[in-house]
Amino acid sequence: MWTRSLSTSYYRCFGCRSGGPKVLWRSHAVRTCSAPALPAGRITPLQAVNLWKRHFEERAVTEPELSSQYIIAHLLGAKTIESLEQERLTEFLSREQTEQIWKLCTRRLSRMPVQYVIEEWDFRDLTLKMRPPVFIPRPETEELVELVLNDLQMKTEMGVPDKMEPTCLEVGCGSGAISLSLLKTLPQLKGVALDQSQDAVDLTRENALRLGLEDRLEIHHIDVMKDAETLLRLIRPVTTLVSNPPYLFSEDMASLEPEILRFEDPAALDGGKDGLKVIKQILTLAPQILSSYGHAYLEVDPRHPPLIRQWVEGNVDRLQFKEARHDITGRPRFCILQKEEVKQGPQAGSGLRN
Amino acid sequence: MAYRRLLNLLPRGKESAYNLWIPRFQKPPYVLNQTVENRAKRTLYTSTPLMMKLLSVDEIFARKSLQEHLRKTEAEYSECLQAISGNLVEEQCSEDELKAKRTKVSLLAPLIQTIRELDTKQKEIAETETLLKDEDPCLRELAEVERAGCLEDIQTLRQKILDLLIPEEEIDLSDLVLEVTAGVGGQEAMLFTAEVFDMYQGFAHHHGWSFDILEHTTSELGGLRHASASISGPQSYKRMKFEAGVHRVQRVPKTEKQGRMHTSTMTVAVLPQPTEISFTINPKDLRIDTKRASGAGGQHVNTTDSAVRIVHLPTGVVAECQQERSQLKNREKAMKSLRAKLYSMKLEEETSKRYNQRKIQIGTKGRSEKIRTYNFSQDRITDHRIGMTLHDLKSFLLGEDLLDEMNSSLQEFSSQEILMELLGENSQDSS
Repeated sequence: MWTRSLSTSYYRCFGCRSGGPKVLWRSHAVRTCSAPALPAGRITPLQAVNLWKRHFEERAVTEPELSSQYIIAHLLGAKTIESLEQERLTEFLSREQTEQIWKLCTRRLSRMPVQYVIEEWDFRDLTLKMRPPVFIPRPETEELVELVLNDLQMKTEMGVPDKMEPTCLEVGCGSGAISLSLLKTLPQLKGVALDQSQDAVDLTRENALRLGLEDRLEIHHIDVMKDAETLLRLIRPVTTLVSNPPYLFSEDMASLEPEILRFEDPAALDGGKDGLKVIKQILTLAPQILSSYGHAYLEVDPRHPPLIRQWVEGNVDRLQFKEARHDITGRPRFCILQKEEVKQGPQAGSGLRN
Repeated sequence: MAYRRLLNLLPRGKESAYNLWIPRFQKPPYVLNQTVENRAKRTLYTSTPLMMKLLSVDEIFARKSLQEHLRKTEAEYSECLQAISGNLVEEQCSEDELKAKRTKVSLLAPLIQTIRELDTKQKEIAETETLLKDEDPCLRELAEVERAGCLEDIQTLRQKILDLLIPEEEIDLSDLVLEVTAGVGGQEAMLFTAEVFDMYQGFAHHHGWSFDILEHTTSELGGLRHASASISGPQSYKRMKFEAGVHRVQRVPKTEKQGRMHTSTMTVAVLPQPTEISFTINPKDLRIDTKRASGAGGQHVNTTDSAVRIVHLPTGVVAECQQERSQLKNREKAMKSLRAKLYSMKLEEETSKRYNQRKIQIGTKGRSEKIRTYNFSQDRITDHRIGMTLHDLKSFLLGEDLLDEMNSSLQEFSSQEILMELLGENSQDSS
């Protein structure tokens, strides 16, 4: 229901920063062990949903009702509680099912994100495997994919002049959400995905296999910050560069919800002091990664677009900041850049820089 | 269409029809339906008498109005034809007028052709009439055979003419969004709503249409407060439009302990789904609400609440979806139902302008009408628009042959109604 209360957005008790996330997690984990006792009699899924909803509420777990519903629906083999027939919701659970519910809901009590608890989530048309500490894709990134798809589809319709087959490179692939969505929608596309984390590389590979897309996706364990040369040696120029790089300002890290702070890889979130550390590196490499007139698409912090435009103009040759696009909540969230070609001849460059 | 098929189901003649019908409408209409919004419209519909009888092709052709209409159409056709071939020198038409006339000619051509074929056949039959009086028995026999063949052809041609007269409506080709909402009767109404929703799921399956649930709000006892689904496939809207309206159930509910009979209602709305080309919405007119609108969004927040609500600002029409775990999917689905809602508002506006003379409302309008009763103790389903009763509720609720039968009859009635309207006849005083 739409009237579902807004989640208690800001977790208040995380004032102390001195200990760092690891310490907080440990101290918290001890506190959250006390789950409600398994019920003596038999209960129905609906009763379990209500019981755990109340329990999550008492323990100030965010999205208490949805969490309870998603976990229990998942254990009953469905994505949402609405998609289960009423009969299933009102017949008694087996002992094993009840135990499973208790096990998974207890994990949620420790503020583990629902996506990790049920080990999967939907991204656009895909259902992807989710596993800590690999970054859980956010809805905004679904829009980033939409943006890239629209451009690529338009190019295909108009016919790319040199009949070059489309290729894409994703920096920081996480669970593989972006690359796999693009490959799934565009059967002629081939892609390369990188991540600095072995966990992410493994999960992307697993998801690619599950979706039968492994033939068109190369996956590498590469850190763009450190192994730029390896990367450039490894790949051929691509028509599309896409990334949802870590873009949080370091100072914002401590104010994140425990779900993020304790469970997601900080390296996928923390973009340094101004959130631009990885973005700058990607854009520096972009002219070498992209083929002529290739595009780069980035998801960024709403404060970033003007900063990125200014920085690219002053620091990166052969790359033009095309535009910033808004997400559906109206925040400037995406940057589109394009590689320009330097004209051959004596006046090369000078005319294009403006 | 077999206009004749249903004749037997119906009370013959005007008298019996009135006996059956008038008393029901002397009661205040729709005591059960508490929604107020359609009250003004409702009086308009219910105060008009209903056409009760399906006419045969011959009966329709016997009408002066039809003959006049055909003659008028033919005259119009030749006039347009002359204008575009430039034979009318004294009357110079503008380019636009010429264009309109050209379109008219190509639209009317199949009809005119059929009318001419019919004329030829009728002349032939007149000729055989004389031969029938011939002295030679062989010749008479031959004439008899020929006459029978002619009559058959005439029948086919007449049917074809009637079909061609009924304008093909563009929206009939579209897909649709089905909405069911529980009405009066609490939990029992919600249980019935769930059964009706399932029935249409079965109906869609029966016809090979796709059935994609957009919204689904359940009640505690397994009923449905409200649900919507997107249905697509050939003829889906053309058929489903006859299902829109208030459905009434009479039975002893599961929830009733003293065995009393209850009467409850639910409402079906059928909204045509416009194509991207036929209907556009300005993105600037939309406000999209999500739980991510407050706070920083992006990597800062991890939410599982992917519900989306879209408000069309100029009209205030709202659509929402939370069926999916993907926010984008929810947005696509909400958009689909918003488009259908806005489109149907637009159509309703146009339709009421065009057809405010129409006597009964089988079709896209009249969503507030009580159209059908499902009586469990008598195991019958009665459609009040055409006075048709079928038995075997269990099979009917499967959404297969029985529902199909009733739905087809509605379509035949509707075709006749459109035809009569076209001929400028008041159906009830014409027989």
